[in-house]
Amino acid sequence: MRGLLLRLEPLIWGLFGGGMFVGALLLPAWCLVAGVLLPLGLLPAAEFPILWEHLYYQLSQPLGRAVAWSAVALPLWAGAHQARHLVTDFGGLRWDGLVGGLCYAAAALGSLLAAFAVLAL
Amino acid sequence: MAEHTKIIAVTRFDPERDDAPRSQEYEVPVQEDWKVLEALNYIKDHLDPTLSHRWSCRMAVCGSCGMNVNGEPKLTCREPLSNYGERVEVAPLANFPVVRDLVVELEGFLEKLGALKPWIMLAKQRAPEEGATRQSPAELADFKQFSMCINCMLCYAACPVVANEPDFLGPAALATAHRYNLDSRDEGAAQRAEIMRGEGGVFSCSYANECAEVCPKNVDPAGAIQQAKLANVLSWARSFVVRRRAAS
Amino acid sequence: MAPPRPPDRFPAGPRYRSYLLFGMGSALMLPLGFELLCALWALASGDAAWREFQAGLRHPLRIAGHAVAGVWLTWVALRFFRLFPKTQPFRLGPFRRPPDWLLVGGLYGVFAAASLALGLWLAGRIGGLG
Repeated sequence: MRGLLLRLEPLIWGLFGGGMFVGALLLPAWCLVAGVLLPLGLLPAAEFPILWEHLYYQLSQPLGRAVAWSAVALPLWAGAHQARHLVTDFGGLRWDGLVGGLCYAAAALGSLLAAFAVLAL
Repeated sequence: MAEHTKIIAVTRFDPERDDAPRSQEYEVPVQEDWKVLEALNYIKDHLDPTLSHRWSCRMAVCGSCGMNVNGEPKLTCREPLSNYGERVEVAPLANFPVVRDLVVELEGFLEKLGALKPWIMLAKQRAPEEGATRQSPAELADFKQFSMCINCMLCYAACPVVANEPDFLGPAALATAHRYNLDSRDEGAAQRAEIMRGEGGVFSCSYANECAEVCPKNVDPAGAIQQAKLANVLSWARSFVVRRRAAS
Repeated sequence: MAPPRPPDRFPAGPRYRSYLLFGMGSALMLPLGFELLCALWALASGDAAWREFQAGLRHPLRIAGHAVAGVWLTWVALRFFRLFPKTQPFRLGPFRRPPDWLLVGGLYGVFAAASLALGLWLAGRIGGLG
């Protein structure tokens, strides 16, 4: 497994880099607005639940679908890659192939499901 | 010059007598403007001639006197003693086997550095009559920062990846390889590519940035390695386009 | 010879701690990415599924988790954008890389603008049905 990961490293790192960028840009606001402020009703005059039509209208455009897929799939790769490196940081190099394989398999599955979801929008 | 006393706690290790490194304290009358290395030299000259440590130029050029001072990798020849309190701990660089006292084994590093072919490689040898290869100031600026490395090994002592992955080629060696890849006179990038992206290559780096923090020459090996990763990704992607074109 | 010892200040030294906290914070992107996948899946499945997904967001534990993750990832983003410029080549064709302070300032600006835009959009204040 480690040999396979080694061969795919440029692809994985490219996805990781893109994921860090997209995730750093979008996830803090997602967590704080959709995860805290809206559910607690702390934003004046904001609707919660968020209207389905409101998000659907933007995300079902071609550009919206591309952004939605990137926003879901790329951070998965960033998180998977960081989780793998954390295991090595704490002395788990001998499990690197297994951990990396599981993390990236999860990210790949998520990316595929995200593609189905954006196509279904 | 004002003089007062500091306790210098030095790691000692004699492979013929000690099972493991131990600490030994010396009371050293230090002067205000002394560097850590001067205290070690004082111990060697006046208190304990059995102490072993490496040093040479005393001006942060030769890269021999790197040690962990109070847990942080430092060039002892330029690290003022006045930065520290009354007790200063001096240990050999972390992440290296210890030969004796403060002297570490560098053979592993030299092998890694050599494997990356850190010299200018040409596809075809030039004859002397062809004259010198010219390089503009702008081309020099492309890699000059990365050529300032003095191989002092502070970056290896600080790097958490070196600690956990013994095959990792490490900050100084990879930064030097990238320096040659960026050199307009060099044509060896393809020959370095395989080892740079292989086991223990650039992709093992998790960008802790410690190497950049401790580098005494502002080389920023972390920056070099991330740039090398990006270059590697781009050349990997290009290789598919080239292969496709060749096939069609 | 004595075997190598790990860096003296790892993992508790302040810089190592920041690095590890950055790694752990970024690893949160894996579960959060799956949460976004659920959101997207619910959106694609219709109004009822979307309402059900949002009902889950009201759970106190999830609100607490999001608060922690939001603050943590904001710090992760600031460190990421601060360390980003030097990962880029010194020169792109004839263009030299702008000074780090300019790039970092620009990235912080983009981060603030993107966060504001996403927040306003989620709150229903911009990007409506046109």
